[in-house]
Amino acid sequence: MAKIIVVTSGKGGVGKTTSAAAIATGLALRGKKTVVIDFDVGLRNLDLIMGCERRVVYDLVNVIQGEAGLNQALIRDKRVENLFILPASQTRDKDALTQEGVEEILDTLKETFDYILCDSPAGIERGAQLAMYYADEAIVVTNPEVSSVRDSDRILGLLSSKTRRAVQGDDPIKEHLLVTRYNPERVTQGDMLTLDDIREILAIDLLGLIPESEAVLRASNQGVPVTHDADSDAGQAYTDTVSRLLGEDVPLRFHEWQKKGLLSRMFGGGRR
Amino acid sequence: MSLKMDSATMAFTFKGGMLPMTIMELNSADPERIRRQLAGKLTQSPAFFQHTPVVLSVEKLDEPHLALERICAVCRDHKLLPVAVKGGPEPVKQSAWALGLGWFPPSDGGRGRILESVDAEISQPVEPASAPRSAAVSGELAATRLYRGTVRSGQQVSAAEGDLVVIGAVNAGAEVLAAGNIHVYGALRGRALAGIHGDLSAGVYCRELHAELLSVGGNYKRLEDIDSRLLGAPAEVHFSAEQLEIRPLV
Repeated sequence: MAKIIVVTSGKGGVGKTTSAAAIATGLALRGKKTVVIDFDVGLRNLDLIMGCERRVVYDLVNVIQGEAGLNQALIRDKRVENLFILPASQTRDKDALTQEGVEEILDTLKETFDYILCDSPAGIERGAQLAMYYADEAIVVTNPEVSSVRDSDRILGLLSSKTRRAVQGDDPIKEHLLVTRYNPERVTQGDMLTLDDIREILAIDLLGLIPESEAVLRASNQGVPVTHDADSDAGQAYTDTVSRLLGEDVPLRFHEWQKKGLLSRMFGGGRR
Repeated sequence: MSLKMDSATMAFTFKGGMLPMTIMELNSADPERIRRQLAGKLTQSPAFFQHTPVVLSVEKLDEPHLALERICAVCRDHKLLPVAVKGGPEPVKQSAWALGLGWFPPSDGGRGRILESVDAEISQPVEPASAPRSAAVSGELAATRLYRGTVRSGQQVSAAEGDLVVIGAVNAGAEVLAAGNIHVYGALRGRALAGIHGDLSAGVYCRELHAELLSVGGNYKRLEDIDSRLLGAPAEVHFSAEQLEIRPLV
C-alpha cells in the first residue's frame, strides 16, 4: 500500500525541499519506488535540488489541467533507480491547483509507487493545505529557533484538523519531527533551542536530527541530494532518518557537541 | 491661537481602548425564543445580568429585516444593554443607527469563531429535544470539558458552560476559554481566559506558567505584567481585591 507523506513546516527556508529530496533519495536507495512532488507552484525549487531542472517539460499544473499525461510529466532520476520527480510549474500560481486534480494524480501514483512525498510550500494557505490534505504521514521540518517551532506547532494543528483523515474521522495522520540545521555547539552556548526544548513544545515523535552542515549547501548547489554524500554528517543523518521512517530503531547521532581535540583539528575531521 | 492646547482648554480627548465586550450571537431572530433563553440564563448566573453591555451579532442570521427594536427591549428587560449591532445587511445597519446603536462590520473568522462555538453550545439546553433538563440543574452541574493532547498555536478550545481541563500543554498562540475554571496539566504558554461569562470566582491552574495572557471574568494580565519569579512553575490565578492574583501552586 502506497504511503503519502507530506514534508511541511509552516515557516519558509527551514529545509523542506532539501529534506524532501534527501529522504526521497534515501527511500529509493533502499529499493522503495518513490516519487517526490513539488507543490510549490510558482516557486519551483525541487528540480534544482534534485539536479533535473534541464529536463523539465511538463509539470504538475499541466497534468491537473489535462495538458499532459502524468507519465509525460514524471522525470526519472539519473542517479537512483525507482526515483521520480513531479516538478511544479514556475509560471502559474497556486490557484491553478485543484483538490480534485491533486486527488486524481495521487490516486494514479498510488498504483505504482511505494512512497509519494509531497514537498509543501511555506505558509498555511491553500498550497500548503493541498499538499497535506491527502497525506497519511507528515514530516514536520523544524529549525532550533522559536519562530520555526511556533510555525511547526501551527502546522501540527492544521494537520489534525484540515486533512482528509481529520475531516473524515479516520486514523489521524502520523506526525514525525525532523529537526534540521542543528548546531550542537551553538545549542550549548545557548544561541539555539535544545532538542529537548523542541520536543517538549511540539510533543511528537522525533524522526531525525540533521546537523547544520556545509555539505547541505554544497549538495543544493550541485543538484545532488545530500544523501548521496555518504561521508558527510548530514548525508548520514538523512540515511538514519530514512531508516527510522522504514521502522528501524537507529540511535540518534550528531546531537551532542564534541569539543575538537588536537588531532581532529589537525586532520580536519568532524563536520565536513 | 496657539496650536498647542493643554488639557484644561480641551473638553475631551479621544483615546483608543480595548474593553472586554460580550457578543450575543443570535441564532434565531425570534424575540420570544430569545426571551425564554435569557430567562433561563438569568436564574443560572444572575451576577452576569447587571446592565452588561452587549453587542448583538446577527452574522449567522440570514434575514434582511429583523425585529431589532423588540430584541433590544427583551435584552433590556433582562438587564442586558445592547450597545451595538455586528454584521447583517444594509437594512439592519440602518435600523441599528435609527435605534441609536452602533454598527460593526462582520468579522472574518478569528475571534468570532470562539464565541460562535460558545453560543452554539449555550443554545443547546433550550432546544426542545433536551427540554427535560431544567436551567437550574444545568447551571449547578455544568459539564466539564476534558481535552487530551497539546492545544497548538492557532487552536482554540472552549468550555461554554463549565470548567475546562487540558491534559497536555497549551502552546504559545493557542487560546483556552471556559465559563468556569481552567486546569492545565502541562505547560500553559498560550492564552487562558476563565470566567468568560463574567464569573469572577473562576480560576486558572497550571503545572508550568508561561502564559501570554491570563484573564478571569474579563480582568487580564499579560505575560509582561507577570512577576518573572512566578514563571516556569506551577501557579494558580484568581481575581481578588480588584485585580488578578497569581500565586505559586503548592
